[in-house]
Amino acid sequence: MPRASAPSKRAPSLKLAPPVARRPTPVALLPQPLVERLLAVAMERGGDFAEVYVERTLTTAVQLEESRIKSAQTGLVQGVGVRVISGGKVGYAFSDDWDESALLRAASTAAMIAQGGGAERSFPVRRAAVPSHYHVSPPLMDVEVSLKTGLLMRADKAARAFDARVKQVNGGYVDQTRRIAVANTHGRYTEDTQDLCRISVLVVAQGKGGERRTGMYGGGGRVPFSHWDTFSPEDVAREAARQAVATLGAVDCVAGPQTVVLAPGWSGILLHEAVGHGLEADFIRKGTSLFAGKLGEKVASDLVTIIDDGTVSSGRGSINIDDEGNPGERKVLIENGVLKGYLYDSLNAQLMGQRSTGSGRRESFKHLPMPRMTNTFLAPGDHVPEDILKEVKRGLYCATFGGGQVDITNGNFVFEVIEAYQIEDGKLGRPVKNATLIGVGPEALKNVSRVGCDPMPDPGMGVCGKNGQSMPVGVGLPTVRIDNITVGGTKVA
Amino acid sequence: MDYQQLAKRIVQRARRKGARQAEAFLEVGRQSSVRVHQGQIEDLTQSTSKGVGVRVVLKDRLGFAYTSDFEPSAVDHIVDQALKLAEFSAPSKLNGLPSGKDLGRFGDTGLLFDTKVAELPGDWKIKTALEVEKAARAEDSRIIAFNGVGAGDYVSEVYMASTEGATGAYSGTYVYLYAAPVASDGNGLQTGYWMDYRRFLDDLDGPESIGREATRRAVRMLGAKRVKTQQVPVLFDPQVAASFVSDVARAADGNVVYQKASLLAPLLGKRLAGAHVTLVDDGLMPRGLATAPFDGEGVPTRRTPIIEQGVLKSFLYDAFTARKAKARTTGNASRSYNGLPSIGTSNLYLEAGTKSPEELLREVDSGFYVTALLGHGTDPVTGELSAGANGLWIEKGELTHPVQEVTVAGNLLQMLKDLDGVGSDLQFRSGAVGAPTVRFRQLTVSGE
Repeated sequence: MPRASAPSKRAPSLKLAPPVARRPTPVALLPQPLVERLLAVAMERGGDFAEVYVERTLTTAVQLEESRIKSAQTGLVQGVGVRVISGGKVGYAFSDDWDESALLRAASTAAMIAQGGGAERSFPVRRAAVPSHYHVSPPLMDVEVSLKTGLLMRADKAARAFDARVKQVNGGYVDQTRRIAVANTHGRYTEDTQDLCRISVLVVAQGKGGERRTGMYGGGGRVPFSHWDTFSPEDVAREAARQAVATLGAVDCVAGPQTVVLAPGWSGILLHEAVGHGLEADFIRKGTSLFAGKLGEKVASDLVTIIDDGTVSSGRGSINIDDEGNPGERKVLIENGVLKGYLYDSLNAQLMGQRSTGSGRRESFKHLPMPRMTNTFLAPGDHVPEDILKEVKRGLYCATFGGGQVDITNGNFVFEVIEAYQIEDGKLGRPVKNATLIGVGPEALKNVSRVGCDPMPDPGMGVCGKNGQSMPVGVGLPTVRIDNITVGGTKVA
Repeated sequence: MDYQQLAKRIVQRARRKGARQAEAFLEVGRQSSVRVHQGQIEDLTQSTSKGVGVRVVLKDRLGFAYTSDFEPSAVDHIVDQALKLAEFSAPSKLNGLPSGKDLGRFGDTGLLFDTKVAELPGDWKIKTALEVEKAARAEDSRIIAFNGVGAGDYVSEVYMASTEGATGAYSGTYVYLYAAPVASDGNGLQTGYWMDYRRFLDDLDGPESIGREATRRAVRMLGAKRVKTQQVPVLFDPQVAASFVSDVARAADGNVVYQKASLLAPLLGKRLAGAHVTLVDDGLMPRGLATAPFDGEGVPTRRTPIIEQGVLKSFLYDAFTARKAKARTTGNASRSYNGLPSIGTSNLYLEAGTKSPEELLREVDSGFYVTALLGHGTDPVTGELSAGANGLWIEKGELTHPVQEVTVAGNLLQMLKDLDGVGSDLQFRSGAVGAPTVRFRQLTVSGE
């Protein structure tokens, strides 16, 4: 039944994508004369700016359960959104009906935000060149479904062969070919095709006395199907199985402040939660982020340089253009601990006298764009990962993570640790369970005391939620040590 | 367009093309929402949307496809697509739509549609959202900004048809108000969030009460600090308790139970909590946000006690999982047009107890009253909860200072056992999951 969908009260969060159609060749999304007509209608009441956003997304998803392909599905979702800006006000209307009269109605509806009576004007658009950080050929929608189901069957086999304690394997493969076109009254017209795919495997292992632990791993990106030749479903499955088995027999985590060492890769959600969301220009403009007004200030340890980069080749969060038609960019957000910049979409940039950083993203034509991250990395330092561990007398090594979440306003962030080990005299000890890290963004970053020379992107599995909109993103982190961060657990020392 | 006819045509085409069984699930909606900022409209969104999903069973194999394009050729195409996709899934005798005996008569849902909501004047949302913002500001001068203030409404229609005789349609209305003010005391920022979300305009809280409560919740968090790591009695306010209740229901999902991926799997009929704990899923709750005559596959919805007076009474099923588990569907197939049905809750709530929240508090010498959790909740496989928490410290039965940057941790089964107080203040604040204030005898709070 349709879920009554409330506006999201959840703070922004990042989590692992859980395990989870097509029409033939894509055609030009909308004829240019119609696009120009929609812009003219959108501006007929005297708006300052209008934009037409056209989207057509084909999705294929396959699910495996109990060693069988449970379902295969495809779908098409398409629509057109018209946005009008008048002063600081935004009018938006969308239609999933491509009938010309329905589209013109949407444009008129969006125009109502503007008060003045405008004269009939024309807004010719010209196609702008678009960079190319990914190119998927053949498009994922053209790859035979049997190849996609085959990946999951291979993963299932590998996970079960890994260890007799593996009791359950769920697998999911999903891809989409998302075609967008954005035209605006500045005369800019851009198009992009954004293929994206991901495999994920969830394993439940059972140990002595019926103890059950889970492992989850996956990845992908804006990559061609041949990606699975090198990032094989067997590797994915074995890693999920390894996590589940490794954490059997875990002891209760000791609660309280500790020194933690984060393994490289997906632990980059630390940056995403502790800093990234707090630098998005909508929160900055309204003054609701604790990073507002702190440009040029020291907000992290000297060792911390954080970059948001939409131009990474084939990255899960990479974008040739954002959903306002601006090119994706590489932005230094924090350099050697000093706050250097924010993430802007075009509306907030304009209201704040800045330029867009190509960070305007939206889940679909049903949503307004807002500033979002793409791929967020911590630049590598010069500490040797083994030495970082060796120096810790007592602490917690966090090997794999679940998701994270942040309250932008007070900066409190958490991330959930799936696989962790006690550190004793520089060596890994027993696995611990039920650990969570909590901190306040800038304080945690000031406590970063070692940054490894081993940069690593996550394998391509992040889903970032904000105001109810989900976006694919990437994160990355070298091995990092943080002193004195609060670790949640059940045991009181 | 006659959508009921369209659903039937889709099913007929699938059968003609060789499907043993076929089902069409169609949704149509229109919605409008507004956000305001500093006494002005920030944005205004209006739209209509629609879509249809087609599920087929062909030679014991399942295929599914969906589209938001209702052009006849597009609809024909997805029927063919669903049939083609069935070839890629594994055959199973258990695959199939709910049969005639599962379908039966729909229960009494009462009214789901409010013409006052459907016919709200265009400027009502703007006017009301501005009143929310104004009331929030007026309540306390320490409110310096808003993360968002808004209002919205939504009208939805659902139609379905299947070869097994499932047929039906209903429409419903929804209206909501919310505010997220930010308070500052010069040293730090804190946010509060409050909302109300209803089917009927007359049930909706007024803008002043939404704005004032949101502000009260933001301001009382100013000056929040960590506390020492310790084990103490912990209260969850009704919103936080609702997320705990959702986690319990997630572990009662018949599919995870069948896969033995739930810690509740071996416990049917066993006592999990005291007799004061009753957890119910009720698809027929009068005026409930998720109330509907039938579930996502046409099965009549009903009232299902999951935990009754402390004893685990039932898991939740859709038709497929019920067949696997040799149980009966409980009418809990949840879906939208663009996905296969999966097991979900309808109106889910923990029944109210007899003590007021103040009484529950008064009995605590030293403890923690949690008003927000940060994180993704309890793991249904292990039952572990470890999440960030905000709230207020309790000393000698009174709320004292605000607390942040701490975590609470425990285990679902132990938490159910330790649930030693249920408040009389059951509320459905922001959706279809409701709970009163609850108290746990002990949880681990991690801080300094």
